[in-house]
Parts: sequence; C-alpha cells; structure tokens
Amino acid sequence: MTEARVTENPAPRAATSAELLLDGVSRSYGDNLAVRSISAEVPASKISVIVGPSGCGKSTLLRIISGLDEPTAGRVEFEGTPVNGVPEGLAMVFQDYSRSLFPWMRVDKNVAFPIKHLPAKERAERVRFAIEEVGLSGKEKLYPWQMSGGMQQRVAIARALASHPKLLLMDEPYASVDAQTRADLEDLLMRIQAELGITVLVVTHDIDESVYLADRIIVLSAPPSVVAEVIEVDLPRPRDHIATKTDPRFVEIRGHVTRLLRSKEQVAPV
Amino acid sequence: MKLLHEPLSGRSQAVLGVVGVVGVAAVWEAVIRTGLLDVAGLPLPTGVLGGVADLLPDGTFWDAVLFTLGEWMLGLAIATGVGVLVGGLMGAFRSVFVAFEWPVEAFRVLPSVAVGPILVLLIGQGMLPLALTVALSCVWPILLNTMYGVRSTDTTAVMTAKTFGNSDLAVLRTVKIPSALPFAFTGVRIAASIGLLVAVSAELLIGNGTGIGGYILENTANATNLDIVYAATLVAGVLGVAVNLVMAKLDDVVFGWKKGLAQ
Repeated sequence: MTEARVTENPAPRAATSAELLLDGVSRSYGDNLAVRSISAEVPASKISVIVGPSGCGKSTLLRIISGLDEPTAGRVEFEGTPVNGVPEGLAMVFQDYSRSLFPWMRVDKNVAFPIKHLPAKERAERVRFAIEEVGLSGKEKLYPWQMSGGMQQRVAIARALASHPKLLLMDEPYASVDAQTRADLEDLLMRIQAELGITVLVVTHDIDESVYLADRIIVLSAPPSVVAEVIEVDLPRPRDHIATKTDPRFVEIRGHVTRLLRSKEQVAPV
Repeated sequence: MKLLHEPLSGRSQAVLGVVGVVGVAAVWEAVIRTGLLDVAGLPLPTGVLGGVADLLPDGTFWDAVLFTLGEWMLGLAIATGVGVLVGGLMGAFRSVFVAFEWPVEAFRVLPSVAVGPILVLLIGQGMLPLALTVALSCVWPILLNTMYGVRSTDTTAVMTAKTFGNSDLAVLRTVKIPSALPFAFTGVRIAASIGLLVAVSAELLIGNGTGIGGYILENTANATNLDIVYAATLVAGVLGVAVNLVMAKLDDVVFGWKKGLAQ
C-alpha cells in the first residue's frame, strides 16, 4: 500500500485550500478522553470522510466542528476563522432523520426551516430547487412521517441544501436505511456535491461507503482516538456502484482501511 | 386509542355502544323493579329519563347549566393561561424550575374545593370564586404536562435547529414550544374533565344556589322530586362526555402530526 499517502500530525498550517482545519483537537468528559489530539484538513469542494471503529468519538468530533461542543484542547478553523459557536454556512444531516425533521411541519416547511428569514419569493424558489435536487417534487405537502426512511433522509438533505451551505456535515447519514436506498443516497450525495461544489464531511463506520464517497479518508483509531492515517482516494469520478467497487484500486484501498481499523482495535491499550 | 386488535367499523361501534348503555339501564331497572335491591331513593332509569323530560322545558335549569358552563370555561381559561406560561418557563429554564418546583409541589396537593370558602371570604360570592376554585384544580395537569412537553423535546431536533444558527431563544420558539403543544393540550383535556367535576362540587359547597350544583342542592333539600336531582346529575355527566368528545376531536385535527411520533 505504497500509494496511500500518510500525513504526519500535526497538519501544517501553511496556506492550504483547507475549508476546515482541525489542530490538535481533544475532548474529554471528566477523566474519559474521547478524542485525543486530532489534526486534519478538510479540503474545499471535496468529499472527505472520517471513518473509525464505533465509539471512536466520530460524533463528538462532528459536534465540535459544528460548534455545538467545545474541544478541551486544540482548535477548529473554518475558512480561516476559529470556530466559536455554530459557524455560518454550515449544515448538518443527522443519522436519525425521524428525530431531526420536525414532525409538525410538512416537507416544504421543513425544507424552508433554515431560510425563514428570507423574502417569500426567494424562499419558495430555494425550497423548490432543493426538493427537486433530491427528487421529491410533488411530495411537498406530505408530513415526514408519511414517507419512507430514505425519503425522509432526502428531505433532511434538501433542508440542508436550502440553507446554501459551504460545509455540509453528515453524521452516519445512511446508517438507518436499507442497502438499496443507501446506494441511491450515496450517488445522490455525489451528484449534488459535484453540481454545487459544496465541501462535504461525512462521518461513517462503513468502510465501503468511505472509500466509495471520499476524495480523502481520515481514518481514526480506537478511542482515545487519533488520526491513524489520511488517505487520498484517486478513484475516477463519476463513480458507480458496480464499476467503482470492482476497480482493483477500490479493493486495495478498502483492504488497507480495513487493516488499519483492525490493527488499531487490537493494539489499543485496554 | 386503538389497541392491539384491528379497529371495529364505525357502525358496529355505534351499535355496541347503544347496546351497552341500554343494557346497563335495563338490568338496573330490572334489579329495582323486581325488588332485588330495595333502598328508598334509588332512581329508576325510566324515572330519571322522565326527570330529564321535566327538566328540558325548565328555564331556571338551563340558566343553571349556562352558569356552570361559564364558570367552568372561565376557570379553565385561567388555568390554561397560567399553566402553559409557568409550565413552559419551568420546562425551558432550569432557574425557573428550581424556583417554582417546591411551591408547585406544595400547592398541588391542596384540595381546591377546600380553598373555596376562603376565596368567598376574600372576594365575596359570585362566579369568580367558583371559577378560581376550578382553575386551582385545573392548573396542575396543564402546568406539569407543558413542563414535561418542553423538556422532552427531542435533542436531535434541538441540535438541528442550533446547527442552522438558531439561538437558544429561537430554538425555544421554533422547536420546543411547537413540540410541547400537544402535551399542553393533553393537559387541558385532562383538566377540562376535572374542571367540570370541581365546578359542580364547588357549587354544592359555596355556590349559594347557583349553577347545576345549586339546582341539585335546592331540589334535594325539598326532597319532592329526587328524579329531577338524578336527571340534573345525568345532564352534568352528559355535558362532561360531550366536552371530552369535542376536545378529542380538536386534538385529532390540530395535532394530527403526533401520529408521526408513534412510529
């Protein structure tokens, strides 16, 4: 696995096109260290994926990046400014769509939620565009709970798009949908990202998904987590579930990530 | 409300309901007529129905019913205003909760009807002390339900709103309050039934002859026609059932989205 590039910590702070910069980010809860000195860069207008074993503090890290939580040490920069509270231009898609969508709002109202302050005309236009992007035109007047899980997650993605995010964070976004829906939503995400040029950061425990989606994979070790390796995924785009996943390079990277996660789990101090 | 089994059709539900009511009345009638139960003053269902027939054209009775309804609605409105406001604040702000927790616990166990005479002493006779007695018993389920409603707002929903740049106050307004409303309404529903009970009880105690309670009291004192007393009680009961039905329907229409939470 010579091709997989290894980035040494800490990440250099020199002029990079990093949209998001993590510099020695740690978070402990009491004596319990959840993440330990994580440094990584998330490049602009690309899809980056954080992958790690369960309980490795992925969600903690996302909460810190989104400004919902503060690191106990280190710092986060978004577009060159330190994150202090929820930064503007950020949207988050949660794993649990049924709890993230507001059950008392119909689809169109849910999608319009982040842009309530806009003039009605622009708001309507953005809602229409976002709903069309995720392929839900005609479903505007349904309540989320009248839809399937995959459709609900599409609504959540549309809502994020309506806010015109620069950075789209996704916390295990497809962990609660079936395999076919998951594949569809992965392709949907890549299409939208390519179209709109958004910076996307996905957190997942699914190795296949990480390699399939990512331009860059940030592999975390078992807790207390550090960055085990950063891998640039040079698979050609557009990607396809059959062609890409049978590409020897895909198989190679997937094997490498799998070994990384395994070995870390075994070596992790008890 | 539908339990494990498949729901019955509307028609068979109606038929079963009528059979149940008529059946119980018939058995009751039979028990008394056959002398199985022989206590003076027990009502015959047919007699009570006759009493209702006597009541219907009685203007003073309908004035009493209107008085009770007005008193009940005033009390419920006061309780809703206070309960939703205080409960909402207690749910939203830890400091308010800490400040009000023990006063609420202390006042909650006071039997409101017992406070009635004190209210009369303080503010005199009339509808107001009666309505306040009603409010005093109605406020607790509303307050507690609203408080737990606000507090049980889904954390993911709250985080979602925050990641879209909403302040704590905006989250309260756009997420916590809407998601707590059905809980508050359930509180109002519970309170509505309690309120009607307390309204009539308070009238019996401090009503000075007003309302359904006062009407019942007067006719019992005369002991001339107990069937009228039972009939008035029956009307009060039917009123309670009607109130509950209307509230349930309202709940269904306004908070239909709650179905989504059951999934």
